[in-house]
Amino acid sequence: MNKKNKIVKKVLVGISVMGLGFGAMAADPNPIKVGVMLPFSGVYGGLGDATRNGLKMALQEHAGELYGRQIEFIEMDTEAQPSRAPEIANSLLNKERADFIVGPVHSGVAMGMIKVLKDKNTIMIIPNAGIDAATGPLCAPNIFRTSFSSWQPSYPMGKIALEQGFKKVITMSWNYGFGKESLAAFEESFESGGGEIVKKILVPFPKTEFQSYLSEIGTIQPDAVFVFFAGGGAVKFVKDYDAMGLKSKIPLLGAGFLTEGTLEAQGVSAEGIQTTLHYADPLDNPENQRFRRDYQTNFGKPSDLYAVQGYDTGLMIASAVKALKGDISDQGALIKALETTEVISPRGAFTFSKAHNPIQNIYLRRVENGENQVIKLAASALEDPARGCKM
Amino acid sequence: MLFKKRAERLFMWVFFPLALLMPMFLEQNEYYVNKLTTIMILSIFVMSLDYLVGKCGLITLGHAMFYGLGGYLFVILAPEYEAVNFWVYTFYICAISAAIALVIGLLVLRTSGIYMIMITLAFAQMTFYYFSGSIDYGGTDGVFVYVKPETSIFGLSLFDLDNPTHFYYLCLLSLFNTLLFFKVLVRSQFGRVVDAIQVNPGRTTALGYNIFVYKLMSYVVASALGAYAGYLFTLQYGFVNPSMLSWTTSGTALVMLILGGIGSIYGAILGTITYEGLHYTLEHWTEHWMLFMGGLIILMVMVFKKGIAGFLEDLLEKRDGK
Amino acid sequence: MDSTLFIVQLINGIQYGLVLFLIASGLTLVFGVMGILNLAHGSMYMVGAYLAWYFVQHTGSFALSAFISAVIALCIGVVVERTLIRQLYRRNHLDQVLLTIGMIFVFNALQSLLWGNDPLGVEVPEALAASIPLTGIIEYPVYRIFVAVFCIVVAAAMYYVINKTRLGMLIRAGESNREMVECLGVDISRLYTIVFAIGVMLAAVAGVVAAPISSIVPGMGEHILISCFVVVVIGGMGSIKGAFVGALLVGLVDTFASVLVPELSSMMIYVFMAFVLLLKPQGLFSS
Repeated sequence: MNKKNKIVKKVLVGISVMGLGFGAMAADPNPIKVGVMLPFSGVYGGLGDATRNGLKMALQEHAGELYGRQIEFIEMDTEAQPSRAPEIANSLLNKERADFIVGPVHSGVAMGMIKVLKDKNTIMIIPNAGIDAATGPLCAPNIFRTSFSSWQPSYPMGKIALEQGFKKVITMSWNYGFGKESLAAFEESFESGGGEIVKKILVPFPKTEFQSYLSEIGTIQPDAVFVFFAGGGAVKFVKDYDAMGLKSKIPLLGAGFLTEGTLEAQGVSAEGIQTTLHYADPLDNPENQRFRRDYQTNFGKPSDLYAVQGYDTGLMIASAVKALKGDISDQGALIKALETTEVISPRGAFTFSKAHNPIQNIYLRRVENGENQVIKLAASALEDPARGCKM
Repeated sequence: MLFKKRAERLFMWVFFPLALLMPMFLEQNEYYVNKLTTIMILSIFVMSLDYLVGKCGLITLGHAMFYGLGGYLFVILAPEYEAVNFWVYTFYICAISAAIALVIGLLVLRTSGIYMIMITLAFAQMTFYYFSGSIDYGGTDGVFVYVKPETSIFGLSLFDLDNPTHFYYLCLLSLFNTLLFFKVLVRSQFGRVVDAIQVNPGRTTALGYNIFVYKLMSYVVASALGAYAGYLFTLQYGFVNPSMLSWTTSGTALVMLILGGIGSIYGAILGTITYEGLHYTLEHWTEHWMLFMGGLIILMVMVFKKGIAGFLEDLLEKRDGK
Repeated sequence: MDSTLFIVQLINGIQYGLVLFLIASGLTLVFGVMGILNLAHGSMYMVGAYLAWYFVQHTGSFALSAFISAVIALCIGVVVERTLIRQLYRRNHLDQVLLTIGMIFVFNALQSLLWGNDPLGVEVPEALAASIPLTGIIEYPVYRIFVAVFCIVVAAAMYYVINKTRLGMLIRAGESNREMVECLGVDISRLYTIVFAIGVMLAAVAGVVAAPISSIVPGMGEHILISCFVVVVIGGMGSIKGAFVGALLVGLVDTFASVLVPELSSMMIYVFMAFVLLLKPQGLFSS
């Protein structure tokens, strides 16, 4: 496969120092097959690319500890198209017989994948999609997640908003699963602490014409606004919020995706925005510093959250293969090994809950000089409630 | 004779026997069976569109609405954890879709040309946004179908829908029937009137035919079959998502149709296979598959002026002439 | 809704409508004169935005970038018309649909190759970066007012060119009777090239102007394309005046729907369009 070789080459050039590359890959009769189902084109293309880079980097670093097993990547572009997801997942499962299937970014695609992969003889690892159900009602022994549930990054913000003295808050997001789940998590902790949601604005997805909503916010004048937006929508929202003169008067809070991978495009408009997330670029720990440095040298651009999540997925696979001495044929043993993995991640070490979602720290960050500076730990070892998971 | 053209007969003799035998070669590989099944389902969808666009001159960019409705109607109507009868629900879904098409057709068919393209798009977008925002039907995340229907008729159950090969044959049978149905329809009295409307609407009216009723019936029939295709698509993997309703689904179907050859009915299958085949090959070959896909589409517009079916027909007729 | 908020929303709606007009005008011009249905029009909008970003990075000047982008867009228009569109004048709309969908694929792929898939942003030019206080708390960004004024100027210029100049006369003549214009010795193919290139440039300029107040992301073209078609169809395909009225109506409907029926607001412009077409099956100002 042309694509595969091309990318491998790129990585090899970058990490020649690390020796043992994938050069011998083709010669291995029995490689570990890692199916990658990420968006490489369209709106989510950048996220897919970063995730893949991180994944490859981790497996590259640990190539020497896999008991001689080589890794073969099979990459499929999901185009963030949910209706194609079952078909692609099916091809990785039944045609390629992938041992691991890593993906996706988009929650709708996650649903389509889960439908096909649940309880099948492969391991699905979600490196981004936050949909609560994946480690809730739809949880399964062979489904893992290395990113977050939608609930996780938003829940701690409710308490923080109260601490900062905000009593009346407007919440706002796109009218889709991820957004609604994020708002619900914020509301859960905010209202239980005595706060009041004065208005909840759900914008049709993927609309980015925010002027009329912002005018309304300006008229209601809440103490603060909590939003969930990501990617292009986040850029637009933050810029519009600032241009309408609201930023200096009504503090803007959000789930971390608001200022993740978007800061350069948002420019000064993002300064001062507070968000909660399980990672921040300048997080002060040795793993993160090394990760960011290596990523920069390998790929010629700065790392981001999505790269970290991909990286952790790679670490997780590597550690399970290592624990089983390279023999991953027994699915039960493999699942056990994965469950008990402690991932020493750039975001800080984390373990897995019963529902296979990370139990992880959530940080409060504020944008200062174009970077998400860590203000404090918002929640320590936060575990998703995994409502509806019978596992 | 039902199939007048040489290319048509050749296609029938090559495609269906091959399709019938295909699963035997692919026994070990469930994926290819599934992939081919998807192509069959899409072909039914594209074929119903071809009848509208090619035979009736009704260009719509909203056909995906019925494709999606086929899936969502099943989710709405069928109980979640109980196997229903496939044929009964086929009837329900087609009947309800036909009823919806009747109402929308009354409005849409007052316009024509580009305006009809846009008004059909408008209705499809409304449905798309309705299901994208719905709480009960999963919003943008979509919903699962947990239990697939059983297919017994009078106690005789021919197909097990959980078995990919069985499902493949069900879809192949459906495709074959759809093709025959449209062929018979085109040849019938009804089809001749529709043809006449294409050639000269004024004269057809003068002959005492109510043009509007004929257009409306065509729209209803094609929409019901489009919904049937969507119903099959939903059952294949048991997953419904609003992206089935998006305008890109309609657009892609149009591309498949034009590639295959408008108005030829069987060209719908050729176009679907070509598009899906190209997509599959390019996607596996390069990450920038879009560049080549776009280039090839442009090239095909230039080369095959009447689609692949038209190209084949010209080729075979030229040989006839010699 | 109190009266101040009403007025603010009115301004929002008009401003959004004017931007829509700028994008839609090229589409309707090309359709009106040449009978070409260009689905790749949205891609040109995207190209404009990306070009603006690219040149602002390199030159630092927004005005200069806007100028260079417009020139490049003109060139793209000429090349595309001469090589591809030209083949399709005698073919039906469906072939045009297929060709221009192919072009969408190509432009998207090129965008991804050249500029990547991360969301990008262009800073508002310094001279226009201020805000005007509107109510107690809301300010209105000067740049948005500039955009509105710019769109009105373009509309006026188009009105002038079409009604008062020789080129405009040819355009009007070409619209009503292509053969006759050809018989009169006018080089119609050159006219078509010019019109198509202008159409492309209008889309790209809209992309440039919108760049500082939008996020530059892959797929932005397709998203705007559908809204543009709604505008053009409501106004009547091929009518510039119709596009202007249609754009303002769509802008207002969308803005007020967002406030009054937020959850259904995306549906409302389509409901509105269906409603208009049911009353006037050829749009408001069909020629």
